Amino acid sequence: MPLRSLCLSFVSVEDNVAREFRSGFLIIFVLRNRLKMVDFSRVQKELVDCNRDTAISGVSIMLLGNDLSHLSGTITGPVATPYEGGTFKIDIRLPDGYPFEPPKMQFMTKVWHPNISSQNGAICLDILKDQWSPALTLKTALLSLQALLSAPEPDDPQDAVVAQQYLRDYPTFVGTARYWTETFAKRSSIGTEEKIQKLVEMGFPEGLVRTTLEVVGGDENMALEKLCSG
Amino acid sequence: MQPQEELVADKELDSATSDPLLSIDDWENFRDDDIMQQQTAIRAEEAEKMPFVGDKEPLSALAAEYQSGSPILQEKIKLLGEQYTAIRRTRGDGNCFFRSFMFSYLEHILESQDKAEVDRIIVNVEQCKKTLQSLGYADFTFEDFFALFLEQLESVLQGSDSSISHDELVTRSRDQSISDYVVMFFRFVTSGEIRRRSDFFEPFILGLTNASVEQFCKSSVEPMGEESDHVHITALSDALGVPIRVVYLDRSSCDTGGVIVNHHDFLPTVSDLQNVAEGGSGTVKPFITLLYRPGHYDILYSK
Repeated sequence: MPLRSLCLSFVSVEDNVAREFRSGFLIIFVLRNRLKMVDFSRVQKELVDCNRDTAISGVSIMLLGNDLSHLSGTITGPVATPYEGGTFKIDIRLPDGYPFEPPKMQFMTKVWHPNISSQNGAICLDILKDQWSPALTLKTALLSLQALLSAPEPDDPQDAVVAQQYLRDYPTFVGTARYWTETFAKRSSIGTEEKIQKLVEMGFPEGLVRTTLEVVGGDENMALEKLCSG
Repeated sequence: MQPQEELVADKELDSATSDPLLSIDDWENFRDDDIMQQQTAIRAEEAEKMPFVGDKEPLSALAAEYQSGSPILQEKIKLLGEQYTAIRRTRGDGNCFFRSFMFSYLEHILESQDKAEVDRIIVNVEQCKKTLQSLGYADFTFEDFFALFLEQLESVLQGSDSSISHDELVTRSRDQSISDYVVMFFRFVTSGEIRRRSDFFEPFILGLTNASVEQFCKSSVEPMGEESDHVHITALSDALGVPIRVVYLDRSSCDTGGVIVNHHDFLPTVSDLQNVAEGGSGTVKPFITLLYRPGHYDILYSK
């Protein structure tokens, strides 16, 4: 139980303060704090669970540096859709109330889809809002995003322009979506992985390489400079 | 001056909604975070008005609420007074059934010190855990919630280091980090029971929502804040083997003109009932009584 260990660590660090409180108050005080924090032991278990069968599920989650509340997910485009062959990067931020509050997810890879903003990657999906439950996981959320790519819901759109095109001119929609997949979901992802591999081969740790590349916006030379300067 | 200002505001609102381009733009800028933030703000506002579990109030407090209300309700509250002495309100945030059940059950154990009942429910809780595992839930999704409930259960039994007083039980039941965890424990148990006996529950669920068992559990049982219906109550009562009485306070009346207060006893299914009956008497009288008013549950105390 994270509860117990947290109580103990709090008491030992803030021993003097602790004496000021009656024990009952203290426990409540500590418990309150616990709710304000992401449940990191759960997040760690989720990462292991998700990355166990990446090849089959087509979804994975990576750490960005040491901060467990900011992660990066990827989903592969489902076959027989305009997104087939693409790899889509999802920015994942865990709010303080996680897993009671839903994770904040956003497409970092540009995608043409009625329920995803073509401008900023914001997603319209019920389980990321009021239908979220602690019974769900980051993996099931990513799988739901994958399902959303297979089955758009144009009647509940995030991007009105895309939704209108989907409803009024489906062939053009498919063409545009496929073009966006070719342009943004293939080159960028392959390119990034190659850059990462190159920098890792130079001897930098992978996690650091990924964050650094992210920070400089994918520019390999700038990343190298930053890595070398420490 | 005031009415005129309102008129102007209305006009602005009208023009904003009548311009389709503008409203589309608005929605594009209105992101999920904003909606979540708004919901959190609403909840915080609600929290200030009413704790998760209120103080015990005499039944006259309920009568006062309907002083100038429906005569049928006034009559029914009078009848309630013959059997019940007090009410404890819960917050109307969609989790009221589970919070009422949590407090009522733990309070009963605290007052009765019924160790046999605790031993009995622990066996059921263990069974619920196995149900979830066999349904394919990863352990880490539910284990913390189960552990926290068992911890509360242990603490209401007196005589150990972790024992708590009645006041402390009230305090804990008002603490979000405890109350929400226990609510989520109940939601897992309820969902697991419905899925495990999906053939039994399917017709009831179809009658309620036209959704499949799977969809129902995902959208109406597992998310926090989703209200409970007789399906939830039946499932929770069966899974934990705890009988629950629900007293209905609504405007229905008999054709003959007389007024009676309806209640329904949710009794655990046969196999579990035998366990309960082993304790002694043949008839099971629920020790948990909830007052249902359309859309909301509170706790009732009998004489």
